[in-house]
Amino acid sequence: MPDNDKEGKNTETQISRRRFLSYISGFFIVGGFLMQGLTALRSLFPRVLYEPPTKFKVGMPSDFPEGVRFIPEHRLFVIRDNDRFHCISAICTHLGCTVNLASYSPPKEYKSTSGTEVSETYEFHCPCHGSKYRENGNVYAGPAPKALPWFSMYLAPDGQIVVDTNVHVGHDFRLKV
Amino acid sequence: MRERLKRIIRKLTWTYNPATEREASDSTARNFLLHWFPAKVTAKSMSFSYSMLLGTIILTLFSILTVTGLILMFLYVPSVERAYWSIKDLEFAIPYGWFIRDLHRVAAQLMVAVVFIHLVRVFLTGAYKHSEKIVGSYRPLNWWIGLALLIVTMLLSYTGYLLPWDQLALWAITIGDHIALSAPIVGAAISKVLIGGTIIDQNTLIRWYVAHVFFLPVIIFLLILWHMWRIRKDGGLAVVEALGIERIREDKVVAKAKTYSLMGIVTGITPTITQYRVRGTAVSSSPNLTRRVLLTFVLVTAAAMALTFLFKAPLEEPASLMWTPNPAKAPWYFLWLQELVADTTIRLKGLTISGGFVGGIIIPTVLLLFAAAWPLIDRTPDQAIGVWFHKSRRLQNAVFLLVCAVIIALIYVGAVMRGPYWHLYMPWQQWIKMPTRF
Repeated sequence: MPDNDKEGKNTETQISRRRFLSYISGFFIVGGFLMQGLTALRSLFPRVLYEPPTKFKVGMPSDFPEGVRFIPEHRLFVIRDNDRFHCISAICTHLGCTVNLASYSPPKEYKSTSGTEVSETYEFHCPCHGSKYRENGNVYAGPAPKALPWFSMYLAPDGQIVVDTNVHVGHDFRLKV
Repeated sequence: MRERLKRIIRKLTWTYNPATEREASDSTARNFLLHWFPAKVTAKSMSFSYSMLLGTIILTLFSILTVTGLILMFLYVPSVERAYWSIKDLEFAIPYGWFIRDLHRVAAQLMVAVVFIHLVRVFLTGAYKHSEKIVGSYRPLNWWIGLALLIVTMLLSYTGYLLPWDQLALWAITIGDHIALSAPIVGAAISKVLIGGTIIDQNTLIRWYVAHVFFLPVIIFLLILWHMWRIRKDGGLAVVEALGIERIREDKVVAKAKTYSLMGIVTGITPTITQYRVRGTAVSSSPNLTRRVLLTFVLVTAAAMALTFLFKAPLEEPASLMWTPNPAKAPWYFLWLQELVADTTIRLKGLTISGGFVGGIIIPTVLLLFAAAWPLIDRTPDQAIGVWFHKSRRLQNAVFLLVCAVIIALIYVGAVMRGPYWHLYMPWQQWIKMPTRF
């Protein structure tokens, strides 16, 4: 630029008006498009989801028979042992298929990891990739990486059992009714 | 008036029997549909024994998919309440609806298969290789575009799989979503974008529908154009390199004839054009190449229509998360991945890595990266470019074919040998009887 040439030494540290303006406008043009892109991307992460609640009533305790009952609409098993209840997820931890209940009569005998003889009357088998879970939801065969989670339960004021699938509980959890 | 009509028709068509060389080359320059063909083409480039005309076959299938897809868009409703029933209508109420749907499906499956065969052909002929000696050509780029085309083709097929909203669709998507979820750190975010929430519902359907009918077709169309353009830039199919046709560089001074172009305005500089003269035997594209392309179009369309009568598109029960079909299988071109995700869960003391991540993400990514890097790693001589099974590439061809054979074997195992609960059955064994659902 002729102006800068006259300045002599200063040409190296100064930038011309034209270049300065092109940097500024370039910054805002690119930045503007970038923000456009970000808003488009952000809109794909919904703020509100119209999905079924993760906390729901499954029925009166007296509705449940002794043993396992599959509740298809919530994809979980409610297990009743006399007056004690617990609840295991029916969603395979491998790739999300619904596991099936496999009942055994007479009970199936197997050796647990600690070496004691255990018997069980049912298991959970996944139809997609053949994962198999024990009575308590632990994996013993197939590709599933984790045990089936146990869900928290409590009684609603009207006496119905409520399951909260957001709260996972340990294998000693029982709801006493 | 008649003369004028004749002129318009001449502009839109081209002659199948050019009387002179000039008339032949003129049609490729004049006609828009032919302008992407070179004026001359070697006989070997057009031969079935070299290229198997796979690109033309794929383009035909893509055209069929575009036309049938467009019709289907009028007849399909992308909502969870109505999607399944609009497919039922296609099958039973809309005149020839079943035919359009089946043809779309057959062409889609054929396209996945032929794209894969195309990749195998390009690898075995060493057509992806770059040679320093050949000016103005960089074939690896077209190999990478081709890999992108393979991925987009599979994505198109997969997104289309969801749309009927039946059990087959729902569980294929569930498995795909959980594969994304099994990726560390970014898994949950990817899954959220893919299915638009935490469960597969209306958000998922509309996302995949838009991807299937707009985003992916536009992307694949642009990639196809780039792919074609690169073939021209690279000087035709790789076989011309093997034919020993030299391209001789000539710097030619261009006369300033067109005043409306930049060349006509520029003063002081004499514009030159670098052009490459092909030495060797070549024939006119019109009618030699155009005939082959048209014939391929007709034959492939006829074959796809015939196959439509043999392979009916399935429609299972309406989608329901309450129960999973047993066995639940992905579409056949993903069965090798399903077989991998079922077999690759790694257990080291206390640490478990899901097969979804190993078989569903790591293995296919590594395979793709290897394929992408191969043109840069391959150091075999230039003589191997454009030749089937060149002796210098014996080892890599063998390894490549082995990988292909393993993939095909896994697909076979997944398709035929996996019964209820993903148990392994020999082909002659009877599957256990599963209780029927009421």
